[in-house]
Amino acid sequence: MASSSSPLSVKEQLQQLQLARKLTLENKEYYDRIVKGVLPVIGPSGPLELRRWGAEFLAESLATPVLNMREKENMTLAVLETLSSLLESEQNDTIVLKATIAAAASAYPIVFRWIVNNSYHTEAWEQMSKIKARILQLWDGALPPVKLSCIKFVQRVVLAQTASNGMEAKYLGLDISLNMVPPNHPLLDSRHMEAEATGLLDRMLGVLQDHSNDALLVDATLNCLSILIRSRPSTTNRIINSVLNFNPLKLANSPMTPKNKVLIKSMEKTTRMLMIHILKRDPNNQHAGKIQQYIERIVRSRADIFDEAGRNKRALADQAQYENAKRQKLESAAAAAASAAAVAPPSPQVVIPPLALGPHTLAAVFTLTQNAGLQAFNAKQIQNDLAAKIVVKALTSLDPAVLDMAVNGIRTRFAALHAAAAAAAAVAPPVPVQQSTVINPSTALLGVEEEDDDDDYEPNFNAAEDTEQILNKLDNAPPEEPADQLMMDSNTSLGLGHFELPPPPLIDPDTATKVGQVVASRVFATLGGLAENTRKPKAGINRLAASSYDRESWMTVVTRLATRSTAGLSGDGIKPEENSNALDRSRNMPLSDVYREMLYAYILEDWRRRIEVAVAWLCEEWYNDQLTKRMNGNSEVGLNYERCALRLVDGVLAYITPQDKVLTRFLAEIPELSRTLLGRLKTLCGDPTTVQLALQTLLYQVMMRPPVREIALDTVASIWMEYEDARPLAAKYLVKWRPGFIEAQQAAAAQAAAQAGGNGNGITA
Amino acid sequence: MASNDGGNPAAVQTSPTQSAPAQNSAAQNASSQNEPREDPGGFKLKFCTVCASNQNRSMEGHLRLALANYPVISFGTGSLVRLPGPTITQPNVYKFNETSYDSIYRELEAKDPRLYRANGLLNMLGRNRSIKWGPERWQDWQIGMPRVNKDREHEKGYSGMEAGIADIVITCEERCWDAVVDDLMNRGSPLNRAVHVINIDIKDNHEEASVGGRAMVDLADSLNKVAAEEREKVGAEAFDSGTGAARASFDERVPEVLGEWQERWPNLPATWTLAWF
Repeated sequence: MASSSSPLSVKEQLQQLQLARKLTLENKEYYDRIVKGVLPVIGPSGPLELRRWGAEFLAESLATPVLNMREKENMTLAVLETLSSLLESEQNDTIVLKATIAAAASAYPIVFRWIVNNSYHTEAWEQMSKIKARILQLWDGALPPVKLSCIKFVQRVVLAQTASNGMEAKYLGLDISLNMVPPNHPLLDSRHMEAEATGLLDRMLGVLQDHSNDALLVDATLNCLSILIRSRPSTTNRIINSVLNFNPLKLANSPMTPKNKVLIKSMEKTTRMLMIHILKRDPNNQHAGKIQQYIERIVRSRADIFDEAGRNKRALADQAQYENAKRQKLESAAAAAASAAAVAPPSPQVVIPPLALGPHTLAAVFTLTQNAGLQAFNAKQIQNDLAAKIVVKALTSLDPAVLDMAVNGIRTRFAALHAAAAAAAAVAPPVPVQQSTVINPSTALLGVEEEDDDDDYEPNFNAAEDTEQILNKLDNAPPEEPADQLMMDSNTSLGLGHFELPPPPLIDPDTATKVGQVVASRVFATLGGLAENTRKPKAGINRLAASSYDRESWMTVVTRLATRSTAGLSGDGIKPEENSNALDRSRNMPLSDVYREMLYAYILEDWRRRIEVAVAWLCEEWYNDQLTKRMNGNSEVGLNYERCALRLVDGVLAYITPQDKVLTRFLAEIPELSRTLLGRLKTLCGDPTTVQLALQTLLYQVMMRPPVREIALDTVASIWMEYEDARPLAAKYLVKWRPGFIEAQQAAAAQAAAQAGGNGNGITA
Repeated sequence: MASNDGGNPAAVQTSPTQSAPAQNSAAQNASSQNEPREDPGGFKLKFCTVCASNQNRSMEGHLRLALANYPVISFGTGSLVRLPGPTITQPNVYKFNETSYDSIYRELEAKDPRLYRANGLLNMLGRNRSIKWGPERWQDWQIGMPRVNKDREHEKGYSGMEAGIADIVITCEERCWDAVVDDLMNRGSPLNRAVHVINIDIKDNHEEASVGGRAMVDLADSLNKVAAEEREKVGAEAFDSGTGAARASFDERVPEVLGEWQERWPNLPATWTLAWF
């Protein structure tokens, strides 16, 4: 069929061939006819496109799982001639060669079996042998894709020419082996066949023995070895040894280009996969131990080579170190507990060993850990804020029982030291010289060390060293001293004398103020970094102030710091001092006033948006004033609300514009309004643009806050009287809310005018 | 009462959305090689995508590659098709090769339409049933068995896959790559045909699958370009032009192409090997 289409163009021929191929795919009955039919078209003399198509079609057809071995025999024998001529021709197209050799690889077992059963057919065997010889000849100099096919072809040859153990699947010729060859076959000599297979296998494994960097060939080889290892026992040792000696990571020494990374990873993974595959299929393999080691080794090497694994490894190493530290702690604690002369009852969780004999620093007394590394750790290195965090965290999470145990442990130590001191005091008088030479328990040591140790916690104490020091000192002691006497003397050194902590340095008020201001400014600095909570959940009356870490909560903290921090103290404490010292108040203001100043500045910075803060602050001030009043019996001393409110209103009014209705809101929300406070609004009426704002604000108070209605109305009235420009609007409100007032005023004014007129007349007259 | 001037303007945050890459992918698909199969210059590598359940990652790749006009088939390496259920201990489990995407879709829709729509399963299954009949298991695949049944013809990526064989297998997870390579070793490579098995580590969620799908098309384009070059280059030359040393073949250039691809997709670690069908 296809052969008849020679006048057609190559393209048309290809189309026809595609159709023919489709037929075979749809119905396996066509394979035989179509394969034989296309052979003339795809021969070595045909165009390259057709040869390529043909070679690939042959490779596909000879390998198809649709046909069984027997069904393929006829077809295979028919194509040998074409395969041979394609290989023989000088054209070196890799695609043709690759596919042709692949076809030959599929043909080999078929022909092999055919010859086993039909020894008369020498031609076929000769042809196959010729093809084999040609492929082996091509193998060395071929391009990589062709080499790939050569490797596979050789694998099939080895598979066919070695004895099987019957472990392979019985399909597609994998089960065709030397077992099938009868002992006296005229064409196939088993021993010769096996020898050839061994030679070819060695050649195939050469790529591993040479530690080739060509991942393509290495992978291709490794990926076809499994079935040989599993089903051809004579090859197993040879192959496994070659693989075990292969170093897939050799390429790692060359520069890590992206391509090299792919190659290294590929060879390593493929090697590992093959070994795991073998181990999984046959765990009792005689090589299992070696394979296991090999896998572990290359996994380790790989981890060393690739960064990501390296990080993991370091992390593990770090952990190991910590683990070790933990163990040390336990071990040394246990050892100390065991070796201690006077054994304290060991607690289940915390072991607080009694101190060894000899002098101790305070730090040592308070040091509970037995870990030498931790003892040597200088706690000064930790920043203060971090240390504070650690301490707070530790205290909150600490089991109270453990804390009790630790405190009791320290107590016991002190008790022991005291007892020793008492004993020493009893013994001391007879041997005064000894005391001075050995140790001065009451003063010298602590006197020397207190300055570092009481505050800084610098545990430089080392038990071993101290004992050594004591022994050294004892060595210097007069030798005639009896041993037990010495013991007693050394006991005297244990005594802690009377010791008082030095009083803290006096802070003069200036420093205290400065420090206070620094603290306050740090409190405010926090505000800047806090997110503004945009969503405000309406928790209602049950809301807890400052329950979240946002700006609003922090603001609550700040306002309370300002209002309440020194509330109970200021009433009695500050006043006399002010009087006696006559310090300048502005320079030396109480801490809460520092906060108030800062709050004031903070609010005024952006008062339109921070009016809520102002309200919150004033509420706190008011509340605190009420408490103060209750405490001081309604005395006016130490009240801040009015002062702060006035100051805020004054501050805000300086910047007010007619649009700032926020003023209305502010005055409406603060807890208490006084006549003075509302009076400040009058200044607004000096500016005609803000008259309306001032009066509306007052009207709002009149309407909504009955308790201050009178004050507000009084203010409106006084505005009416004082500001000519504000009169019309004020009059409107007054008419409604204080009917009769204007008339009364006008009447009074008229009367006054009349009087004045009368007087005037009198004067001028 | 007084207006609230103190209220904060709500901070409008423009969160980065995942929609942008999804839109890009269409453009990328359209730009990929789109020549008809009959054109001798229009050489197409044949692809096979593999994940655990043949549902999410392999099917995303299947669709993307099919839209890019590559012949493609897809498989899962798991023992069963596993889909998330109402809780982590109650997955929906189906048999490979026996359950269609459509039946799974209908079953889940009947069970809890809200849940399975919300977690994207119905959407995914709806997509899958438009691609092919049902999930297929890699280990049960008869490699080289022609896929020419009439009911396969509407499958996406069918054209060119008639012979039931692939040039490139792309797995979506190291575990699947291991399973594929192990299975190929187990089969004993009876077909004598080389196949590049490439793993791309893709996390098993819809977003990552989408990114992985794009990466697969990028890889496919890069590989196909090299493969087409090999065919065209030699074809343009005379028959006996010798074996130019500089003319590297497709097989040789796969690691190089993958290395370059890996530079472009550093978050999808890749592994490659050359195995045999």
